[in-house]
Amino acid sequence: MTDRLDITWIALIGLALATILVPQLVPRPLPGNALLLTFAALKGRRIALDFMDLRAAPALWRGLVSAWILIVVLFAWLASAVIALI
Amino acid sequence: MSTADCEQQETGWGILEDLPGDPMIWVLIFSELVAFGLFLGAFTVARAVHPAVFAAGQAVLDSNLAGLNTVVLVTSGWAAARATRAARTSEKRASRWWLLTAMALGGLFIAIKLAEYAEEIDRGIGLETSPFFTLYFLLTGFHLLHVCLGIVILAVVCRRAEASGVETGAAFWHMVDLVWIVMFPILYLMR
Repeated sequence: MTDRLDITWIALIGLALATILVPQLVPRPLPGNALLLTFAALKGRRIALDFMDLRAAPALWRGLVSAWILIVVLFAWLASAVIALI
Repeated sequence: MSTADCEQQETGWGILEDLPGDPMIWVLIFSELVAFGLFLGAFTVARAVHPAVFAAGQAVLDSNLAGLNTVVLVTSGWAAARATRAARTSEKRASRWWLLTAMALGGLFIAIKLAEYAEEIDRGIGLETSPFFTLYFLLTGFHLLHVCLGIVILAVVCRRAEASGVETGAAFWHMVDLVWIVMFPILYLMR
């Protein structure tokens, strides 16, 4: 039986391969960057919940790590959006 | 209050005790996340200031090798998570095997990254080539040091393969994995 760790690993590999393909499949910077960073956030969250074992930890710790991921990717996307729009 | 109560109060980690492994490793993990977050923020700001320089620098990087390294590190993280699970059920032999797999994949990550650096240095690229490469080498080099440190920590906990030790080592290893997952698209792929 495939368990959560294996499913997470397969999902992470799939998202990693999809990430590599994004620049060719979505050449426009704004949606391309949004997709890249969404994939990064999804991968980061799976690592935090299933590999770091924060799924069973208090919400405070899950929230802090998730907030770190969101802040970094949102800041990167907003900066790229500013560059694209200027 | 008894002596035992006093000792427990002095060594208590409060809410950090609800996290897997030694609470001290989580203090380190959160400190490292803040440091890497600030570093990536600085990279993002510098790119906004010099978009053409950063685009030219990024075009030289080998994103396929970095993508391969993502697969290697994610698989290593999976092996470390399996080691933790085995250690929790006292399957020390299995735990050691998974830890060795995680360390070997960590070694492969280092080898691929060094090959990438060698290729870049062969092209005459260095720390002072442009602001992009200064930040690129500092960020990836800082991360690479953490991969090396992670392998050392995994090697130390591998000897006894006890649940608490393996949880501690794996938690640090997953932080290294998490940082790379976010760093990879920002450095190599975003336009």
